[in-house]
Amino acid sequence: MRIGIVSPYSFDVPGGVQNHIMDLAEALIELGHHVSVLAPADEDAELPEYLVPAGRAVSLPYNGSVARIAFGPVSTARVRRWLARGEFDVLHVHEPLTPSLSLLAVLSARGPVVATFHTAMTRSRALAVAQNFLQPVMEKITARIAVSELARKVQVEHLGGGAVEIPNGVAVRKFASASPLPGWPGQGGALGFLGRFTESRKGFPLVRTAFVTLARDRPGLRLLVAGPGDRAELFDEIPPELHDRVEFLGLVSETDKARMLRSVDIYVAPNTGGESFGMILTEAMAAGAAIAASDLDAFRRVLDGGRAGALFPNGDTAALTTLLGDLLDDPARRDQLASGARQVVGTFDWPSVAGRVLEVYTTAIEATDGRVFDDDGV
Amino acid sequence: MPRMWWVLGVVVLAAIFSAYLGWTAQRVERVHARAQSAERALDAHLLRRAAAAAVVAEHRESVELYAAARLALDAEPDERESAENDLTRQLQGIELDPADTAARTLIVSSRRVVLARQVHTDLVRDALTARRRKMVRVLRLPGRYPEPSYFDIVEPVMPPLPAPSPAPAPEALPVQAV
Repeated sequence: MRIGIVSPYSFDVPGGVQNHIMDLAEALIELGHHVSVLAPADEDAELPEYLVPAGRAVSLPYNGSVARIAFGPVSTARVRRWLARGEFDVLHVHEPLTPSLSLLAVLSARGPVVATFHTAMTRSRALAVAQNFLQPVMEKITARIAVSELARKVQVEHLGGGAVEIPNGVAVRKFASASPLPGWPGQGGALGFLGRFTESRKGFPLVRTAFVTLARDRPGLRLLVAGPGDRAELFDEIPPELHDRVEFLGLVSETDKARMLRSVDIYVAPNTGGESFGMILTEAMAAGAAIAASDLDAFRRVLDGGRAGALFPNGDTAALTTLLGDLLDDPARRDQLASGARQVVGTFDWPSVAGRVLEVYTTAIEATDGRVFDDDGV
Repeated sequence: MPRMWWVLGVVVLAAIFSAYLGWTAQRVERVHARAQSAERALDAHLLRRAAAAAVVAEHRESVELYAAARLALDAEPDERESAENDLTRQLQGIELDPADTAARTLIVSSRRVVLARQVHTDLVRDALTARRRKMVRVLRLPGRYPEPSYFDIVEPVMPPLPAPSPAPAPEALPVQAV
């Protein structure tokens, strides 16, 4: 299949949407498809082979952060040229409602268009007002994908239309093959936490309390923390005699995140709310860590009801402490959870996610010319 | 002189209006054509699902599933929706092993029914939205296209996608579609 993908944001700056597009494009290429990605980028920048630069991006404040996008007559001309040359079977745009290359591509496109919505836009009232105005854009989109339940809800409630929910993929191989940090996980047991430890809904205090309690009876137990935040603030709350058994990595790169997850016996996700999907859990699963997570709906779903990770009642420090103690004493149970996780995470692996995206491509093509492809012909 | 401005103004307005009309007519045409294509695709996938279900039913010697599949295949248009619902209900009760070819075909076609129906619903909604506009109604822009209707069935369960098959050889790829 010839697939044209449009990124609204520049690849000069890393971001969730850009990573998603790169991983998807690479997975599709690996499955044997022809993929071209159009994105704002300088022509002289170092770019992957499949990426077509659409010119320099300008910075605009958008959705609470700064987005680098390209828009205007010059961009329009480039989009049209790319579409004409590409002869794509399907056009896949991301975030088509932001003023961006994606929007331009939708307006210029003739054939089947698939759109992926990443953010659950909170300014839904503005969206409802704009609905009439957006109708000419929306009706050119043949099939819609939402990356989370929340993003899908916005579609259904405010844009009048359904969307197929396909979660973000995880590059399982990258996480599974990362090498642990030197000296980790060690003999005495290692717990891991990743996230902004000052943010209450990430639930770090639960891990801290559990660790402090458990560390008294387990002289080798250590805690590995990664995420943005101030070192002093983290150690302030931990008894001084335990300081040398806590390691703080700060904000980590993607590579170091994979290494960090490979360095622990148990990855703890004590979130008390607000996680729409639980990307970090799929990454920890890919890394082969045993997981202890709060029983939020999203976590329960990702962990297949507890097969791929142990669940404890949300916010219950005592229950978490008991659970961690049990898991530390029972390597067989940890292995069992880790192997369950390895099985379950297969559904989130990019080749599998790309397979689901391909189904949507085929559906969109069929809905445009009425022809139906063979089952496995995609 | 003032009269010339009047004439010019009217001409410009008429030009703008006819351009707008042409654009709207094109949009109306497109949403209707797509709703029709989507209906054909949905129809094809429903037939495939029923045929695959009949094969699985034969393998398992399941009389009920076979009957539901046959009824879905033979249903008259006005009975189609309830026949497909019955088949969906029958399919909910059975476990399918993706390693078995017939079961795999059924899984794949069941998934495609869900997607095709989703897209069909969206495209029908777009067409109906276009038809509701006053200008479209008064000028009868949908022309030869009949009013599309939703295919009202319960949301079928979407079985998980079987592990991806290996990359097809380039010549096995679908040819240029658009």
